[in-house]
Amino acid sequence: MNQLRAELLKIRSTRTTIGLLLGLIALALLFTILTCTLSPLNQLVTEQEQASLLSFGSIAGVFAALAGVMLFTSEYRFGTIRPTSLFNPDRRSLFATKIAAGVLSGLVFGVVGEGLVFSIGLMILKIRGVPIFMTGANEIELIVGAIVGTALWGAIGVAIGSIVPNQVGAVISLLAWGFVVENLVFGFLPKIGRFLPVHASDSMMGPIEDKLLPGNAGTAVVIAWAVVLAIIGVGLLKRRDVS
Amino acid sequence: MKGYTHRIPTSESEHVTSVIQSDSLSKRYGEVLAVDNLTFSIEAGTITGFLGPNGAGKSTTLRMLLGLARPTSGQSTVFGSPYDQLKTPAQRIGAVLEATDFHPGRSGRDHLRTLSWSVGIPDSRVDEVLALVELQGAAKRRVKGYSLGMRQRLGLAAALLGDPDLLVLDEPANGLDPEGVRWLRDFLRDFASGGRTVLISSHVLAEIAQTVDQVLIINHGRLVTESTLDELTARVGGVVRVQSPHLDSLAAALQREGIVTSTSNDHALLAQGTTKEHVGDVALAAGVAIHELVTEGSSLEEVFLDLTSGTAPQ
Repeated sequence: MNQLRAELLKIRSTRTTIGLLLGLIALALLFTILTCTLSPLNQLVTEQEQASLLSFGSIAGVFAALAGVMLFTSEYRFGTIRPTSLFNPDRRSLFATKIAAGVLSGLVFGVVGEGLVFSIGLMILKIRGVPIFMTGANEIELIVGAIVGTALWGAIGVAIGSIVPNQVGAVISLLAWGFVVENLVFGFLPKIGRFLPVHASDSMMGPIEDKLLPGNAGTAVVIAWAVVLAIIGVGLLKRRDVS
Repeated sequence: MKGYTHRIPTSESEHVTSVIQSDSLSKRYGEVLAVDNLTFSIEAGTITGFLGPNGAGKSTTLRMLLGLARPTSGQSTVFGSPYDQLKTPAQRIGAVLEATDFHPGRSGRDHLRTLSWSVGIPDSRVDEVLALVELQGAAKRRVKGYSLGMRQRLGLAAALLGDPDLLVLDEPANGLDPEGVRWLRDFLRDFASGGRTVLISSHVLAEIAQTVDQVLIINHGRLVTESTLDELTARVGGVVRVQSPHLDSLAAALQREGIVTSTSNDHALLAQGTTKEHVGDVALAAGVAIHELVTEGSSLEEVFLDLTSGTAPQ
């Protein structure tokens, strides 16, 4: 618990995470206000169309993953990995603590991101007089799926940061994977692409898009990705010298 | 500089005579053998200079001792255990390996708290060490606004958080102005006077010559010599300069001990290839008063350069 407190202080004591959070808020507000205001009414006539629009809060996963990446890469970038390792030489414990911190910060990103998008988006749709087709259960699945998925992306970010300690390299790898590689694979080979982490985490929010996995299967796949990456990350952390 | 709180080493450390023990430690990076079969020990209560030119393997050795780098072969212990098996390493060992190990956007106090909180050290200790290194006025400023000297002191504060028995410092005088070097020297002397141990690395002997009791010199990853500074000077042709109202008697006494003597231009006696302690003992035994007793001759820097160029005796 002491180590987790310290990791959370690392997150709070620089402007990086607050900057990411403000960026998420700005992006979520901009997207939600524009799309919910400007989307033609004939494109908001099914539950899936409405859920897809209100699922934009899952973009918080990108921010949570970036914050998770920073938990390791900023330690390497600024050399604080040396005093951190001297105070906590058990690297498995250090890794586990950072994963926990990544999940907790991911939860915050998820609550803020999906909370803003869902509440403001729904409000705008109601103001426009759009009939809401989503049921209470589907709304809960959307919100909980987005938040839990974002928290898992926090853990995945930590693992990627351990695997690729170079900050620029890790951030570029993460963004290239999330925005380019996965979309290409899902676009051309959806039966494979739906098992990749971004699309698997999308499926956690319910049937927001065709060709995605069922929600429970998507959750299991994202967890499996997080576990596999964490095993690789902790293995490399243990083997790698701190120069 | 504020006085350091002296303390007797803990009972656990009293049972261990060698604070640091390195046994055949080697580290290879591809084709490069950075550390080659390095064996040495460091006793409690000493200030040891760990010397060698740039690239000699000093930093790699320190990283292996502190569990940051895995040796290719050999092993090392600190207080009788490998570093990563110590139960509370921060409470036993404080180390500063780089003067730049800070997030520039974090305040000095928060930097210390990220470390202290991780091992349950209270904030009151953070404030104590900030006062100890005279940084309490800058504690809430972001580190990017700190001078190099302030960063060195913040690193030292982090190392002192656990009130350790051993300090390990890698090139701590790098970039410090003369006032900073003096501050550091006084601090280390104060720290060690309570029976604690210091291992301090440098590539410039003169930087730490006034601070250390003994030296370990390495070159190309190998141990070149392990001795006190006086022994080191004597071994490579050092001279002990003596002034006495009875120089003839003293010269005769020294010559009876097999020590070669000569006279300087200002009529002092110069004893070759010995130590000032030995000369003092001989003078006492001969009943001769001494007015000056100092080691000179080859400068320590010359000795160091000789040793690390491989021309001096082992």
